[in-house]
Amino acid sequence: MIDPYYLQQLVIGLSLGMTYALMAIGFTLIFGVLNVVNFAHGEVYTIGAFASLVLITAFAPPFFLVVLFALLVGALAGFSLERIAFKPFRRFTDEASLKSRAMREATLMSSLAVSIIVRELIELVFGSQQQQVPFEYLINDPIHVGPVVITTGDVIIFVVSVAMLVGLQFLLTRTHVGLSIRAVSNNPLGARYVGINVDRTIIMTFVIGGMMGAAAGILVGLYYGVIFPAMGFVPGIKAFVAMVMGGLSSIPGAVICAIILGLSESIAVTFISSGWADIVAYSFLILTLIFFPQGLFGAKRERV
Amino acid sequence: MMKLKTAIAAGVLAALGATGASAQDKICIGYQLPLTGDTAQYGQGFRNAAEIQLEKFNASGKLPVPVEIIYEDSRSDAKEGVTIARKFVDNPCIVGVLGDFTSTVSMAAAQVYSRAGMPQLSQTASHPDYTKISEWQFRNITTQNQEGPYNADWMTELGIKKVAVIAEQTDWGQSVVAGFTKQFEADSGEVVFSEYFNRGLKDFRSVITKIQRSEPDAVYTGYFYEDGANFLRQMKQLGVEIPVFSTSAAYNPALINLGGDAVNGMKLTVTFLPTSDAENVKEFVSEYESRYGEAPGQFPAQAFDAVGIMLDAIVASYPDVTREKVRDALAATKDYPGVTGVTTFDENREPAKELTKAEVIDGAFVGIE
Repeated sequence: MIDPYYLQQLVIGLSLGMTYALMAIGFTLIFGVLNVVNFAHGEVYTIGAFASLVLITAFAPPFFLVVLFALLVGALAGFSLERIAFKPFRRFTDEASLKSRAMREATLMSSLAVSIIVRELIELVFGSQQQQVPFEYLINDPIHVGPVVITTGDVIIFVVSVAMLVGLQFLLTRTHVGLSIRAVSNNPLGARYVGINVDRTIIMTFVIGGMMGAAAGILVGLYYGVIFPAMGFVPGIKAFVAMVMGGLSSIPGAVICAIILGLSESIAVTFISSGWADIVAYSFLILTLIFFPQGLFGAKRERV
Repeated sequence: MMKLKTAIAAGVLAALGATGASAQDKICIGYQLPLTGDTAQYGQGFRNAAEIQLEKFNASGKLPVPVEIIYEDSRSDAKEGVTIARKFVDNPCIVGVLGDFTSTVSMAAAQVYSRAGMPQLSQTASHPDYTKISEWQFRNITTQNQEGPYNADWMTELGIKKVAVIAEQTDWGQSVVAGFTKQFEADSGEVVFSEYFNRGLKDFRSVITKIQRSEPDAVYTGYFYEDGANFLRQMKQLGVEIPVFSTSAAYNPALINLGGDAVNGMKLTVTFLPTSDAENVKEFVSEYESRYGEAPGQFPAQAFDAVGIMLDAIVASYPDVTREKVRDALAATKDYPGVTGVTTFDENREPAKELTKAEVIDGAFVGIE
């Protein structure tokens, strides 16, 4: 029989990992298609949380409407982000431009710029302090499972993550949109030659990725009750590490690595000290880059 | 050639004379504080309070020239703090500096001020070493060398023998642990667990589980209100019922807004209670509320007093206001009647202040005997 203390720490690590996974899914989807890091994903997450919070304070709608609203806002945010930070750099469709590093790096910087501007704007409007979340919306009521305490939020986040993952796999392998996303991710020029609307496909990817980012933002926000303009930064880093560990383009890989990350952090707190927990993510990043340049799940050629 | 040099020299002299003359038109105070970034809410509170104090002062006619405060955003970044310090030192109009918010940034900037001979008064830097940097550093907040022992004695009186201590991983957090532990062990108590966390940590549950396992009678915490609200909410969520004590840093009305029920029962020391009956506190609180729509916490109150102390020092050194004279006037501050209590600087430029015990009862900070 395991000591309930360690069992509790494992459960906490698992739930921590699930919150990272929630963020990593949308992040990896966008990377998988465009092969660029979207630094503004953390801000989509923040926008989702803030927009939903405004809705909650204004109308006090039921919980599922809040999530629905976050999805909507996320779709809009993803769409606008693509328009502002990515579209202007896709003017040329010849093979050389599409594969050029200059294009990738330009969008990397433009998404970083958008992320900073959005964060500062939110701070101007709402102030940088933590926002007060109405307590009845928090999803952290304790549930006792034997000697271990989990919360309603753990269950919700788990269900949503699984739904996202399964839904996304279904979308990518069984639907027309998904097939085009995979085609574009594999070879944008080839996809264009066979009549796929590459622009629309990329926009769709951003819309879907944005929806997932924003939903993650409000769920994690309500889970911890912590909503503030810089909230997307740390989860963004963790999602980035999970994505690199997972092999850059494998969504299930990113999810598994996010959970490994959460578990390791909890174990680090248990055996070393909380002050050292953050170093776990960075060490994993470095170790992965040195020993598994392809990531742990990235051996296959096909992206997404 | 010679002529040209003389002409330039004359021009430079004239320019210097001109700045000298304009320096008498107004007197400036530099205020370095975080206005953007993670800790911007504190800096904004400081500025809000400083504005009230400054307007009151300029309207009072105590000086024939206006005093102006120049705000610079340090983002709670030590490098930024040093850059601002250099800028302030180079500005001949500035005779004294307020800030920064954290001990870390205040101490980094203090190196510049001590070399350049600029009086620096921090409203919040409570690391014991801050005022030891040079004779130019002042603060009007109690240090953890005062607060830690005070809390240790309080907990011992309540019959608490075993304490778990957690604090944020900063200069300040370490001084919280050090100040408390020394006295608590001298009181023959036992610190059974002590750990630091990174500021802004979202998930305290692993740490809480660890604290629970060490079976303390109480937890002593060195955190600010955001981390405090998270910590207490997650304590409640995990069903851990260990009494929590904290420092005045956690004192802020927002703690209750963010933490709700979970905050009830937390005990802490404070130097400022907005519910106080004192006339100056009532006046400050109502002015602050009418302007900014919320009650001031301890930190804006600290800034309010710091600005007041600095302005009094400027008045005392008028008409020939120099950095040196302002420093001496600051050092001579005696019984300044502020909203955070009466302030007198001792020979080490440390304030002697009274601490009040408080507890959160039914969602309000209540002073207790």
